[in-house]
Amino acid sequence: MERLRRISQILFLIFFLYLFFHATYPYEGGIPAEIFLQMSPLVAVVTMIATRVFVVSLLLGLIVLALSFFLGRYFCGWMCPLGTSIDLMDRLLGRIRRSDRRKVQKFRPWKFSVLLVILVAAIFSFQFVWFFDPIVIMTRVTTTSLYPLAAFFIDGMMDVLLQIGIFQDPLFSLYDFLREIVLPLEPLFFQQSVIFGLIFIAILLLNRFAKRFWCRYLCPLGALFGFVSKFRLTRGISIDEKICTKCGRCQIACKMDAINDDLNSYNPIECVECMSCIEVCPEGAISYKMNFRLGSEKTDVSRRRFIWSTATGLLTLGLVKTSFPDKVSQGNVVRPPGALPENEFLDRCVRCQECVKICSTTGKALQPAFLESGWEGIWTPIVNARHGYCEYNCNLCGQVCPSGAIHPLELEAKQTLKMGLAHFDRNRCIPWYKNEDCLVCEEHCPLPDKAIKFDVREVKAQDGTMRVVKFPYVDESLCIGCGICVTKCPVEGPGGIFLTNAQEQRWGEDESSGEGYLENF
Amino acid sequence: MSKMNRREFIKIAGISTAALSGVLPSLPLIGEPTRPNLPMDLAVVRNGQPAAMVRKAVEMLGGMSKFVKKGQTVVVKPNIGWDRVPEQAATTNPEVVAEVVRMCKEAGASKVMVFDNTCNQARRCYTRSQIQKKAKEAGADVSFMYKQKFQKVRIPDGIELKTWEIYTDALKADVLINVPIAKHHSLSRVTLGMKNLMGLIGGNRGKIHNHFNVKITDLNTIIKPQLTILDAVRILLRNGPQGGNLKDVNEMNTIVAGADIVAVDAFGATLFGLLPDQLGFLKEAYSRGLGEMNLDKLKIKKVSLS
Repeated sequence: MERLRRISQILFLIFFLYLFFHATYPYEGGIPAEIFLQMSPLVAVVTMIATRVFVVSLLLGLIVLALSFFLGRYFCGWMCPLGTSIDLMDRLLGRIRRSDRRKVQKFRPWKFSVLLVILVAAIFSFQFVWFFDPIVIMTRVTTTSLYPLAAFFIDGMMDVLLQIGIFQDPLFSLYDFLREIVLPLEPLFFQQSVIFGLIFIAILLLNRFAKRFWCRYLCPLGALFGFVSKFRLTRGISIDEKICTKCGRCQIACKMDAINDDLNSYNPIECVECMSCIEVCPEGAISYKMNFRLGSEKTDVSRRRFIWSTATGLLTLGLVKTSFPDKVSQGNVVRPPGALPENEFLDRCVRCQECVKICSTTGKALQPAFLESGWEGIWTPIVNARHGYCEYNCNLCGQVCPSGAIHPLELEAKQTLKMGLAHFDRNRCIPWYKNEDCLVCEEHCPLPDKAIKFDVREVKAQDGTMRVVKFPYVDESLCIGCGICVTKCPVEGPGGIFLTNAQEQRWGEDESSGEGYLENF
Repeated sequence: MSKMNRREFIKIAGISTAALSGVLPSLPLIGEPTRPNLPMDLAVVRNGQPAAMVRKAVEMLGGMSKFVKKGQTVVVKPNIGWDRVPEQAATTNPEVVAEVVRMCKEAGASKVMVFDNTCNQARRCYTRSQIQKKAKEAGADVSFMYKQKFQKVRIPDGIELKTWEIYTDALKADVLINVPIAKHHSLSRVTLGMKNLMGLIGGNRGKIHNHFNVKITDLNTIIKPQLTILDAVRILLRNGPQGGNLKDVNEMNTIVAGADIVAVDAFGATLFGLLPDQLGFLKEAYSRGLGEMNLDKLKIKKVSLS
């Protein structure tokens, strides 16, 4: 059984990675890349509470949750890629002295507090699941940190091999092959990658104190599964009291510290069905069989803790909502094409970076925000136009969004949707301040009729000579704010052209008919 | 000799790497400065299938064996710059590229490489232009460019560009065949053979646009294709170099081939109703002796396939 569980863990980790690499241009059919995120019931529940909308695409998460009535926290033990990473870390750490289990056991109810904070915030329409959901954490860190890191090291290794100068041809053939299947064509860089990486490392290093520290004491998704398991209808693990010698090996082996101190019962709120206990029991007293039996365990949530968590949720929400709205940086925030109106967008977006991932394989426009759109918009996708641009022929971000924060648009619709507007900075644009031709922006403008136009005028240059210069300007009726002019502007620093969200259009939904339309802001 | 410890080794390795990287390679001229004896300067073929026109044009110049010898490595440089389909005439016709690759193979080339430093994301451009697929089928090695393969090169005859990053594979190849598409371009009016070579360089390429005529000529003093085959099967008349609107595309059904890049571009200008001396980069290149721009001084032979 334990072996079966390990195989399942590895298969789901591979499935997770497959979906990760699947979210790549050319993205054609197959399994939707966002499906793993939709399997997280926490994402489903919180998004639906925060938006007060039943999101059909998130139904899968509710099914996964419903299975817990029979299978307990099977997801944590058998499927969760973060759980698997933590288990793998455990193997790496090997035998180390960990803290006394009685000392760390007091953290058990914390995960319920985290869950409560998230739910309370969601009730007040503030979606806060993105910081804690394990699938989101995994998707985010893989996109922004682990994958670029792996690519960087492979690149570095190839650099060294190539400098040695032998086997160049086969090496580049290998490199070409790797690029076809996994490697990016160019090095990847993401804002916040260091922070995401550190959070992930911190979660893994918590293993130092207890196995699966994160899953036992902090994970709100685990808490949600645990909460349902409290009411579970069946038991899997059963300890035969007649055979059990109370040797306690199962308690030492248990990742989740779920074996009670009487040594012949266990706590299904904590148990992740990993089967380790079955494997270590020298007497064969523990077995897995489906028994119908109603649960009766307590969830260790005192009234005091409940009040504190609610208060924390409200306080967090209040502090974020009352933080200073910086008009300058907010005006520069350009959202992916098809994004819902800002408030709904913030409620829906789970900050998983799935859109950022797929965008990094085409125009590289999207980056996780820091405080550009305020505290509430932290880690949401924004366009960083000096780094990348929204590819005119691409509409993939909406196709992989798990929560519908970005509406999937038809290509024709996307090509006319205004994400924002480009503006020339005449103090920095070469033709304007230097009176010399350039027109790189116009060359790259993908609109068939060119949203950047130019006047040809004779001017007296700084050196006194008369010259004919092509002066570019933005045709506001045509510009869709894709930002390629900003990306390609050869002027260093802020560039001679910049992007704002002036004239942006968001995807709105008519409340009565449910039909979509574009909202102008 | 005393044993070197790890710290010393790292120090010495670091210093020698730094020293080596400071030395710029001096003038590994791409292409051959002396041209083979050809029966004519320009071969112009009209009104045929793209592949047939290319084959005819090269045969009129004396066949691919004039340019590619057995066992040589060849770089075929099309324009794959944009995420556009062939009908939009923003990228070189894939049939044209494939036929050039095929002829190089027939002439005995050991390896034919096809690549371009694209403006849009490379995989999109390679895929949607169909050049990756068609050139591969014809036997070419089509790969995305590697940042490791750009090297800084001195440009001795450069007026404004003294050094620039150029792609190693292009520097090392025995033969360079330039296969541009004829398009409108707002800055230079048209983009033809000379500008197409920007796809072999790295760095902040947008800077070439400032003082374009001088800089593109500087580049052409060091990158010299032996053969330029201008794809004018479809040409883009307006809103270049990307286009996007089929009404801006004109079916010209023409291929122009020649060893002199300036001559090919001079003829290319006439396809747009322009005179060569209306193009600043041609005048600059001509005045610096890179080639002949006066059409009446060129031996041009025109053939129609139908």
